[in-house]
Amino acid sequence: MIERARGWKSARVALVLALVALALAVGWSARPRTETPAERVDRITSELRCVVCQGLSVRDSPSESARQMRDIVAQRVAEGRSDDEIRDEFRASYGDWVVLAPPLASWSGLVWLVPLAALLVGAFVALGRFRPPAAGAREPSAAELAQLRERARREESLDLPLDAR
Amino acid sequence: MSRWLRAVLVVAIASLVVVLALAFRRAPTDIRTGTVGKPAAAFTLEKLDGPGTWSSEQAKGKVVVVNFFASWCIPCKEENPALVRVYERYRASDVVFIGVLYQDSRDSGLKYVRDNGVAWPTVIDDAGRVAFSYGVFGIPETFFIGPDGVIVGRHIGPIDETTLVRGIECLRVPNAGDCPRASASR
Repeated sequence: MIERARGWKSARVALVLALVALALAVGWSARPRTETPAERVDRITSELRCVVCQGLSVRDSPSESARQMRDIVAQRVAEGRSDDEIRDEFRASYGDWVVLAPPLASWSGLVWLVPLAALLVGAFVALGRFRPPAAGAREPSAAELAQLRERARREESLDLPLDAR
Repeated sequence: MSRWLRAVLVVAIASLVVVLALAFRRAPTDIRTGTVGKPAAAFTLEKLDGPGTWSSEQAKGKVVVVNFFASWCIPCKEENPALVRVYERYRASDVVFIGVLYQDSRDSGLKYVRDNGVAWPTVIDDAGRVAFSYGVFGIPETFFIGPDGVIVGRHIGPIDETTLVRGIECLRVPNAGDCPRASASR
């Protein structure tokens, strides 16, 4: 009995240590830190569309146009421009299309809003369909029950496939 | 089927119809980018064929046709005869043509200009900054700029004589009709 209690205690200590280690790891990875200019250029160019490619970001494209755009971003970062200022410059030349994650307040922002709206509508419909019967709903009468049983018996006797009944 | 489900289905189908109608209403050649309808970015670039620079300030108050090209670009070669003819037609007028060599070397650009009878001023956009500020996707691309300095129209791909003349005339002649905002030929 004492051995078992000791075992439980050790397990609890191990669990607590594991949780503390996990919390420390998460905290360490999420710590605020300053991006280097190169990391910033990488992040910003990964959010911009290569204008001569299909579905590639400026960071990932090997094209000459993308290389020139990376140079522009690097220059703007070196000049101390903010992320928004750099993105706005690209949007001024190529429209919202050039931003891979389009802003919410634009037509392209529908790509974010439509799935959310569809999800809400779907949840609403599902809730409506699976709602329990209203409290005031009455039990079927004996005559109605008998009628239903008779109908079930008749359909079963026809030996039809289930989906044809 | 419940009343709610029917209503949701009707709304979903109506939305789909509206989205499709809007999508198909738009011509595939109507390429909207940020620069059409906005002031053209001012630039100063080195001349391709000689020392010195060419500045967009020199064309202030005039109708300007900006053509982005390169020697390796086959469609640029295709459109060149139309550009040559239209340039000759407006040579003595207040219409300014400027060719911007993009993503190409000076030597290749010079050879192209000499071999293909390009008589209008040409400049070299080494770092692609001017092309970026105009929102160029690929070459050839042609922009029409009004005397007020606003980009009125653009054409993506090899341009023909009719489109060039229409783009210029709508800026030169008052009440000549609406200028085509954007077009494409590929």
